[in-house]
Amino acid sequence: MPIKQQPTKPGFNPDYAGRKAECDGGGPVLDGRYATREEFAGTLTGEYVDHGDPPWRWYLMGDLTKKPDAYEDDVVWCEEGLLFLIDE
Amino acid sequence: MAKDPLHTKFCDMMGIEFPILAFTHCKDVVAAVVNAGGFACLGEAMHTPERIEADIKWIREKVGDKPFGVDLVLPSTAPPAGTVEKLHEGIPQEYWDFAAKIKKDYEIPDPKGKQDLHQWGGLNQEIARAQMDVILEEKVPVFCSGLGSPHFLVEAAHERDMKVFGLIGKKRQAQREIDQGVDVIIAQGYDAAGHTGPIGTFSIVAEVAAIAGDVPVIAAGGISTGRHLAASLCLGASGVWTGSMWLCSRESDTDMVMKEILLEADSDSTVYSNSISGFPMRVTKCAWTKEWAKPDALKPLSSPYQMLLSSEYIQAANDWRRPDLMTEAAGQGIGFVDSMKPARQMIFDMVEEALATFEELTGVAPE
Repeated sequence: MPIKQQPTKPGFNPDYAGRKAECDGGGPVLDGRYATREEFAGTLTGEYVDHGDPPWRWYLMGDLTKKPDAYEDDVVWCEEGLLFLIDE
Repeated sequence: MAKDPLHTKFCDMMGIEFPILAFTHCKDVVAAVVNAGGFACLGEAMHTPERIEADIKWIREKVGDKPFGVDLVLPSTAPPAGTVEKLHEGIPQEYWDFAAKIKKDYEIPDPKGKQDLHQWGGLNQEIARAQMDVILEEKVPVFCSGLGSPHFLVEAAHERDMKVFGLIGKKRQAQREIDQGVDVIIAQGYDAAGHTGPIGTFSIVAEVAAIAGDVPVIAAGGISTGRHLAASLCLGASGVWTGSMWLCSRESDTDMVMKEILLEADSDSTVYSNSISGFPMRVTKCAWTKEWAKPDALKPLSSPYQMLLSSEYIQAANDWRRPDLMTEAAGQGIGFVDSMKPARQMIFDMVEEALATFEELTGVAPE
């Protein structure tokens, strides 16, 4: 399958549902020329979405106990690579 | 005669002469640095996949088989879809009034054209994925992630004889990426331009070098001289990642007015501010950051609201080339850049000063 046509697939990982975690987040800002770092902590719902192949997996975190000032949402998507389970 | 302290394991890994990595948004700088014996990564986070493909081909024509990299800012968190809708309605009137006062106090004209506010990748993983896919298809020698973890691409990259570099701001990020097979770790300290982590360069480089084993660690954040290079190697790094200094190179397409601002800057000329984007980033001080730093200023909004608020100011500053208004991401090492030179000369000056530093410390001339 051509790389550009890889699908987005939702899923659920019961091993992660309810787990407390921290995420070292961030991303590009403005026109992408700059970036920023943000930190989040909360509880994973177990829901995830895989983007493309090889899968780029993102987990949904809610009940946020740490988030940037003025971050208005109650949930955040966290890329698996910088997601750290903290209740092991 | 001592061995050459600048011939590091990073040089051996990449087959290059000098352990100096340039990060730049200008492909002419990439070509010049690579052809001078260093290594360079082209920042492409703001470009379409088609533009990225064209830039890669252009660089290959200029450097031949010499290695170079492409850098993307991979997002690692994203708010739920739909939060950027109705941006204007989300900004309280008192913020519009604050921005209008800055405009009036500094006599800022309207921008010349329509503002173009958009984001790549950060709120849209599909776009970031498309950018990554073209880099894999083109088999660029190095893919560098400027923020998020590139772990999921390591296997696909290695199958294509590509290397993967990861830029980190904390020890646990480095450990995670080392465990995931990332080939080179770039330890970026607080002195850096733009999106720095909370830990100083002196600390993060030594901390990561202590856990990296055979994985080369590259020091980043406020580095612009041969002495910085020598110091980084003493901390355990195998090279240095440099950014702000290239803005002032002869080849750079940075606006000349901005170059003059940067050449006049010293280490106190930057500020770590939320006022541009809603996220903390290190930029050169300007009228906007100064006003938002005042004790009676409003608290910056979150992104993307603060970005929308600042966008007219940013565009007007650049359209009218006002040195009192313009700003750029720059690290604290910018104070050492005081003349505009060809990139090749900047590489050689850095190498010469590093070698002289080692000779000064040891009393022995290196090979």
